[in-house]
Amino acid sequence: MLMLASSIDVWKRCLVGRPDSREGDAAATILFGGARRLSTLDTALQVQSLTKVFRDRGGVTVRAVDGVCFDVKRGEVLGLLGPNGAGKTTSIKCILGLMRPDSGRIALLGQDIQAAYPRILGKMSAVLEGSRNLYWRMSVWENVVFFAALHGVRSREDREYFGHLLKLFALEDKRHTEVRKLSQGMKQKASVVCALARRTPLVFLDEPTLGLDVETSLELRSVLKQLARDEERTFVVSSHDMDVIQDVCGRVVIMSSGRVVVDDKVSHLMSLFRTKAYRIGLRGPAPQGLKERLAQEFASVQVTDGDADSRVKVSLSEDGDIYRLMDILRGADAIIDEITHEEVDLEKVYLEIVREERARS
Amino acid sequence: MMMGSVLAAVFRRDWTMMKRYIVNSVSSLVSIYMIFILIFAGLQSVSGYVKTGALDGSFEGTIVGFFVWTFTIYAFSNLSWNLINEAQTGTLEQLYLAPCGFKWVGAATLMSDFVFSFIPIMLLLMAMMATTGRWLKVDLVTLIPLLFITLLGAYGVGFALGGLALVFKRIQALFQIIQFVFIGLLVIPIRVPGVKYLPLALGNDLIYRSMVDGVRLWRLPLGDILTAVAVGAAYLAAGIAVFSWCERIAKNRGLLGHY
Repeated sequence: MLMLASSIDVWKRCLVGRPDSREGDAAATILFGGARRLSTLDTALQVQSLTKVFRDRGGVTVRAVDGVCFDVKRGEVLGLLGPNGAGKTTSIKCILGLMRPDSGRIALLGQDIQAAYPRILGKMSAVLEGSRNLYWRMSVWENVVFFAALHGVRSREDREYFGHLLKLFALEDKRHTEVRKLSQGMKQKASVVCALARRTPLVFLDEPTLGLDVETSLELRSVLKQLARDEERTFVVSSHDMDVIQDVCGRVVIMSSGRVVVDDKVSHLMSLFRTKAYRIGLRGPAPQGLKERLAQEFASVQVTDGDADSRVKVSLSEDGDIYRLMDILRGADAIIDEITHEEVDLEKVYLEIVREERARS
Repeated sequence: MMMGSVLAAVFRRDWTMMKRYIVNSVSSLVSIYMIFILIFAGLQSVSGYVKTGALDGSFEGTIVGFFVWTFTIYAFSNLSWNLINEAQTGTLEQLYLAPCGFKWVGAATLMSDFVFSFIPIMLLLMAMMATTGRWLKVDLVTLIPLLFITLLGAYGVGFALGGLALVFKRIQALFQIIQFVFIGLLVIPIRVPGVKYLPLALGNDLIYRSMVDGVRLWRLPLGDILTAVAVGAAYLAAGIAVFSWCERIAKNRGLLGHY
């Protein structure tokens, strides 16, 4: 916990300190306020200062989205993360024109969305509430053809593409089955197919794996990755499933209380939070004086002593520390049973960021 | 191009849905026919005493009035019911993502509803005429344009109710009130001052003249036809304005996908 908390500080310093990193600059600007200028050359979506305030009859206001800024590059798969009520779905709905924002500017492929609405919708599609996006009394194929036709997609070539998508999502056999007769996972996949069949350059997937079993979720992830790679489409994936985000997305925007708190590449974020934490299992009780000797060298060391075995948990700060650690253990005649390196995953990173943000606000 | 694609898609969807919900489609017509039978039986028993307005105590008037009323109910309720159902099932937001704009999807739905309700209601008309033994003149060249003109006002009401459904969600009780209001509009004699400026009234009168008196479209007074078109268009425009206003509120409050 302590190690991760200190990682946040490192990470923040890194964001500010990377002079040539565009992502870092962007994230730092978002975190610490101020305006930023976006390039439109390779940008699919630009969201600037998006704000949405809900007011109830008693005059109480809730800033669901508060000055949100982010951009998505063409062909990028962006993960939109955040706890419930963070403003993810509201942001997506504002972008799609399903909600009217109070202020802010949204541009899709360089075009202002408000000025080009609703024509601009021809460039976007979305899965918003999973299987609720379909007509349950119509077959999978009828749904796909209907929603694609609303986007003017209906040629013979397009229909071949629909077939390709159904094959990709393993729904070919269920093509003529009414949606109500499908399992939850299949309904969910059919929703995604309906969104993809519109052949739009930008696709929003809000909780695409909600209610899916592990196998179907893995299947969906693999197909999304394949589509992003093969068709160079831009995806914005909002999900609570960190495995999906870590697996599919190249970059994440983390929201909390209506604001963007992180905007960074997944790999960079992970490297910032990666620690040199080791757990060492020793045979038998810890040799006399080992605890004190280790405490002199490593501030964060924890030694748990037992009759049959003992454990050493230590966080190393420099590359040479591992050799010093081994020397001390050898010097104390400790018998090492196992050494494990503590891995960091996106879920830990995300939780730490969100908790830190909550504590800060 | 886009509108053609949307129209074709909506027609295909509605045809599919009609087939899938065939029992519901047939039973709704049967229930309307049953109501007609009850009214007919009631009229028969008091026929010597009834002398009311447009019906003028005649079975012909009842058939025409009932025929137009059925069309009207289908016209206004389909749009608003569809909106409620679509919001409930989650497809409404997807329809709002259509690049032509939701209003055009709504307009395509209205056209499709008109076409798909025309044949069953004509069958209902035949059944009503067979039951009463009074055969009216069904000149489709005259009837279809007049029906369309008459229903413009009903579509306006449908748009307005649809808009209210977006904001207030449960407005089914209002539907029942509107149904009775429509009966009133079809029964009030057109000679009462100002009535022809209400929705349905003048159009219903023109349909009456066509079906009962056998007057063809080009023999009807042009002034009356133009007035009916203007009144229908005005109510349709008002309905669309109410819809747009409610849609704006729904988008401001984030209510589109809620039920």
